[in-house]
Amino acid sequence: MLYSISNLIKIYENRTVLKIDALGIEQNRIYGLLGPNGAGKTTLINILGFLESPTTGEIYYRSKKVVYSESLLQDLRKTVVVVDQTPILFSTSVYKNLEFGLKVRKKPGKERDFIIQEALDLVGMRTFMHAPAHRLSGGETQRVALARALALSPQVLMCDEPTASVDVENQAAIIKILDDINREKKITILFTTHDRSQAAALAHQILFLNNGMLTNGSRENLFRANVRKLEDKKIQLRINGGLQFILPDNKKLPEGRIRIVIDPEKLSLSKLGEDPPMENSATGKIIQVGEEKEKIRLVVDLGIQIILFTSKQAYRSQRPMVGDRVEVIFPPDSFRGL
Amino acid sequence: MEFLLDSLLSAALLVLSLDPELLSIVGVSLRVSGTSTFLTTILGVPLGFWIAFSTFPGKRFLITCLNTLLAVPTVVIGLFVYSFISRKGMLGSLELLYTQKAMLIGQILLILPLVTTLTVAAISRIDERYGRTAKTLGANQWQTAWVIFREARFAVVAAVIAAYGRVIAEVGISMMLGGNARGFTRTMTTAMALEYDKGEFTLAVALGIILLGLSFGVNLLFHFFQGRSRV
Repeated sequence: MLYSISNLIKIYENRTVLKIDALGIEQNRIYGLLGPNGAGKTTLINILGFLESPTTGEIYYRSKKVVYSESLLQDLRKTVVVVDQTPILFSTSVYKNLEFGLKVRKKPGKERDFIIQEALDLVGMRTFMHAPAHRLSGGETQRVALARALALSPQVLMCDEPTASVDVENQAAIIKILDDINREKKITILFTTHDRSQAAALAHQILFLNNGMLTNGSRENLFRANVRKLEDKKIQLRINGGLQFILPDNKKLPEGRIRIVIDPEKLSLSKLGEDPPMENSATGKIIQVGEEKEKIRLVVDLGIQIILFTSKQAYRSQRPMVGDRVEVIFPPDSFRGL
Repeated sequence: MEFLLDSLLSAALLVLSLDPELLSIVGVSLRVSGTSTFLTTILGVPLGFWIAFSTFPGKRFLITCLNTLLAVPTVVIGLFVYSFISRKGMLGSLELLYTQKAMLIGQILLILPLVTTLTVAAISRIDERYGRTAKTLGANQWQTAWVIFREARFAVVAAVIAAYGRVIAEVGISMMLGGNARGFTRTMTTAMALEYDKGEFTLAVALGIILLGLSFGVNLLFHFFQGRSRV
């Protein structure tokens, strides 16, 4: 295990921004870190990149406990490089930007030259080697920042939203670079993103962060809901003031406004008109279909967007297409209060 | 009008003929101002960098005090230093009064707050991501500090140039602590004041032309470096 984290807590100004009970990161794998804004993704990246220390908790890196003294952290940082969401290049040439980390590591001049050219080749920016860094576009800056990190041959590369501020062409290029360096150079990569399909396409494993806590993927359908007890031992659940469900009272959901998660793995589909409408179902239009690992991920617009997963086998039997109107069935055990 | 034109013409001739007295005065001015600016840079830039880079209780108060010192008139500084180095003063035995050293002390006190506060401002304006980036690339604290300083270099140079412009044009300190001794502590500004008192305008105007030329040059440099710092 490359990283082993236990009981990690980070508090900023009396606010807990990160609370991770346990997390392991294996070598040579790509991890996608998904979560909404303010979920704690960047904080986690900074802690794993040894740029910030946790308030409490333990981190083991390559089986050694991380001690938060500046001199020891400096050594650790020589194996882990963080690339910011909007990376900043030193106001000098592209070459000098890449040279900085190599000089810090006391690499001889000729070796530096070779490494810099190789790193720039890797990101397709060799022709910009002597260009002033401040004249580069956003996408070029992101690629040079990646090259600057890769020139140092890190064991771990942390990328904070590597494609957030670049155009589509550069997004594809960056994703390919990350995939290539993981396969060819065996670099462990952890990247944050909002784009689930991008995470699914690149990562071997996806981690979900919500309110500073790691959650499983099923918390993707996270909504605010109103719960009201009915007379016949049932409860009424109204999501975002729209969709309404009647559930047995054994759900133990508190009355009033709560946050609920609808497990996308437990939802099912039926095409309109095939069966009579079922209890706790809603009709809507499919707006996205995609493959995610061994499953098919569908996004259905029911007034709110609901995500559901179905097996490839089940998908083949129904073949729902984008634009089809479908009925989504919500079994009572798909709802979970937070 | 005729009087002014005559003065300007005579002054121009004096400048072009490289009059020895004129050169001596300009030499003293450049030497004293240059030395005081150099020494202040050595003191003020690291001090400003330290204030900007570190966190300590009373940091804001210290910056406020330094900003207040920017407005202190030169004569107040002259008087303050005089009280220490005059014969009856605490440092009277060092016999510094009416020497270039006394002028240097006064001028350093004049521009130290300026260089320090402008350096604090220059360093504080640098995006904190530069420091983070240097760290994640493996830099130690000194190397990280160097990266930040390098990013602020043009603004820091502009601060030093602004300080030089301030000392070369000041008159109070040079007059009170230098004593305006010919060939020794007589600077362009004190010489101009003396010539005005005597009613001799030719040398005063000639010195004025040179001072104006120097100020123009300093301002050109200042704007050049300020422009670079915004790149």
